Amino acid sequence: MKTLRLASFGMRGFAGDSLTPELAIDFACAFGTFVEGGRVLLGRDTRISSTSLHAATVSGLLAAGCEVMDFGICPTPILQYSVERMRASGAVSITGGHTRIGCNALTLISSNGAFIEPIGGEAVLDIYHARNFLLQPWNLQGTLRPVTDFTRQYFDAIEAQLDAEAIRKANFTVVIDPVNGAGCRYLAPFAERLGLKLIAINAEESGYTAHDPEPRPRNAKQVSAIISHVGGDIGFVSSSDMGRLSIVCENGETASEEYTFAIIADHVLSRKTGTLVTNCCTTRTVDDIAHKYGAPVFKTRVGQAYVMSALADENGVIGGEGNGSMALPGFSRAFDAFLMMGLILESMAQQKVNASDLLLKIPRYHVVKKQVTGERHRCYHALESLLGQDHWNAGGRINMTDGIRVDWDDGWIHLRASQTEPMIRIISESSSRQRAENRAANVIRLLENNM
Amino acid sequence: MKEFLKVGISGVRGVVGESLTPSIAASFARAFASFVGRGTVVVGRDTRPSGYALQCAIAAGLESSGCKPVLAGIVPTPTLCMLARELGSRGAIAITASHNTSEWNAMKFIGPDGVFLPPNRADELYDIYHQGDFELVTEDDMTPAVILDSPMERHVRKILDYVDVDLIRKRGFSVAVDCCNGVGALSTRKFLEEKLGCKVVACFDAPTGAFERGPEPIPENLGVLCDVVRKFKVDVGFAQDPDGDRLAIVDELGNPIGEDLTVALAVWQVLDRHRKGPVAIHMTTSRAVQRVAEDRGSEVIRTRIGEINVVQAMLENSAVVGGEGNGGVIVPAIHPCRDSYTAMALTLELMASENKTVSELRGLLPKYFMVKDKIRAQGDKIPQTLRALRRRYQDRKINLLDGVYVEMEDAWFHVRASNTEPVIRLSAEATAQTRAVEIARTIRSEIESFLSGAEA
Repeated sequence: MKTLRLASFGMRGFAGDSLTPELAIDFACAFGTFVEGGRVLLGRDTRISSTSLHAATVSGLLAAGCEVMDFGICPTPILQYSVERMRASGAVSITGGHTRIGCNALTLISSNGAFIEPIGGEAVLDIYHARNFLLQPWNLQGTLRPVTDFTRQYFDAIEAQLDAEAIRKANFTVVIDPVNGAGCRYLAPFAERLGLKLIAINAEESGYTAHDPEPRPRNAKQVSAIISHVGGDIGFVSSSDMGRLSIVCENGETASEEYTFAIIADHVLSRKTGTLVTNCCTTRTVDDIAHKYGAPVFKTRVGQAYVMSALADENGVIGGEGNGSMALPGFSRAFDAFLMMGLILESMAQQKVNASDLLLKIPRYHVVKKQVTGERHRCYHALESLLGQDHWNAGGRINMTDGIRVDWDDGWIHLRASQTEPMIRIISESSSRQRAENRAANVIRLLENNM
Repeated sequence: MKEFLKVGISGVRGVVGESLTPSIAASFARAFASFVGRGTVVVGRDTRPSGYALQCAIAAGLESSGCKPVLAGIVPTPTLCMLARELGSRGAIAITASHNTSEWNAMKFIGPDGVFLPPNRADELYDIYHQGDFELVTEDDMTPAVILDSPMERHVRKILDYVDVDLIRKRGFSVAVDCCNGVGALSTRKFLEEKLGCKVVACFDAPTGAFERGPEPIPENLGVLCDVVRKFKVDVGFAQDPDGDRLAIVDELGNPIGEDLTVALAVWQVLDRHRKGPVAIHMTTSRAVQRVAEDRGSEVIRTRIGEINVVQAMLENSAVVGGEGNGGVIVPAIHPCRDSYTAMALTLELMASENKTVSELRGLLPKYFMVKDKIRAQGDKIPQTLRALRRRYQDRKINLLDGVYVEMEDAWFHVRASNTEPVIRLSAEATAQTRAVEIARTIRSEIESFLSGAEA
């Protein structure tokens, strides 16, 4: 089965299968052509294949005459934060993010720090397909400069964004699991700024993800197992690019990644209300919280680029997705796990409560996440056929912003072909666990027949 | 005329931004990895500005195909050849277009023995490239690149072990060097000053890769070095090419002795003071070299043009010294490849042990005069031109090992297709300068008429 996916967000594939250096070089060269040989920031995660892709990307950008500012191993949100401040024309982040070991991607970031929007990404693809590269002669080759000193400014900004004094006073002990990813080397400076006692696990830049790198309860077991023994006030599990985050409470309870955004939204909106932007398959908890503060909710298609673009268009105050991600538009156009951790700690410090109290404060639903695997073209077909079939959506309101969403009074279900893997993702949420399970099972049966 | 990618005995050569792109480099690196198998591959480059992007592409290609790149950075080609063998690697890739101008670059492939791939092995590699079926490994089998510290150390040590360092140091020679803005800019001064006790003045010693003189170490490109030699009244001038494998010598009066005589001095010194044995040189190397060797009772083996051909002949015949008339000195006991650093050390040692100036040494060499010329020609016109020339001279003593080589009593001339450029190369040598010039002029006009005849 082929695993390469070339789309407007960038290029994703599997090392040793679809993701060859030639593809990466040409794709980077297309991006270098798109930014007309301008300044491009470059960062990567710790995966073994990232070094090869990093070298490939450098060569493609240099051939197009770009001024490459190399951050080396760097979380994607730090790179995104830096793009505008360093007056760069764009950035490339090489990271497998939350995907399984072996996967990797070149993610394209535009000059404002957000993931490239489809229209820009398609222009890059057009250049790539036409092989219409800007290939500079020998004396106009690009330059490469390592960047080592910019993280100080980033953490200055993080500190300024937060009530750092309150956090420092609280003397928190924090357990963090960055899955041996790009975040490892940045945990110590982060903890130092906020006066945290840091207990880091899986914090070696070994290139191996110690567990499935998607931050969610089943991958938070290690943190959960040790947190009470080490006297931790809260635990965090991140994706390998520091774009997503899930929470573990001081008592060892693992919170669904859906509640990361909800808890932060509850905190941020309590200070300043305004439009909240989220995708169309995020927990209804978020709607309830927005409602509590009288904040309008704007729903988008799934994906960081869509949320970020709606935040700008709707002048939103906070954006995020149920996969454990959040952005504050006043800070950057990135889903940023450092900022997320900071805001959660700030919320605990200001309210003088435990992590588990934050979780108790918010309305909770039962969420069931399932998947039906199958070839991509079959996935779309199966979803289409489903629309013609009755009963499974009886009494619900259908919305097709992205995939199919059906809303009932007590819950909803969302079906969507994954953009990153050959499968249909199913999220079913309800106040009743049984009903959420039943709705999901019902749809899975129909989808499997349609495949 | 747009230059095409040239894939041949001298590696893969092209114009940066036109025919030679990073993705082509990555593909060749993957073909090389598939060819040599998993293990370490050393990668080095000269100072050309395009070298770094190509190095990145090659590293990416090697890693993705299961090899571990060892990055030696900017190093002389002989250093890289030696590292390939000494580090027990699977091979090495040199990123250098050697004596070509700045807009060119190339990849040259070196085997685990530290020698450029011979033609039949190179053909195998190119077949893999063209078939396109490269090894591609998963993360479990990938090894990230490492950077090699002090890459020249072993190379320098081997040269110092070979020559009489004390003898050279005692003389405290003053030397002018011309590094051609190439790899020598990073190492030649240090080598001569620190290791051989010389006083050094340097020109073209910024490692920019934007060559401020013609990159071949031929007399017409050495005007500045000659001026420096005269102005600073040094004992000798050394001119390197961009990747540090070839050397030309300027005498203490500021006159280039001719790059074909670099080998003559090296042969002299090795046979007199190091080791007796056969000598291998290519066909257009000056007869002066042959005479130097024969006068010392050595057998002389003539080979086809191309470094690898000389190296192979040397290894097969246990030659003790040899090289090419373009300033490429090879001493297999140090390493079987052309090496300007070895050539510098041997020249200084000869000056010390004979206690003579360079002009005096030159005066003791047999007198020959060589004329070199090149005639631009499309590839498809070259064979019939050579065939016509061969018919024209079929009654003479003729050697067809490589192009057409015609031997006369007092002279010879040689005509062949270049391995690196779309040109026909012509050399003629005689005991009198006027005779050499006359032969060259005659042959050139004959070639031109054959070429236009071929066009008709």
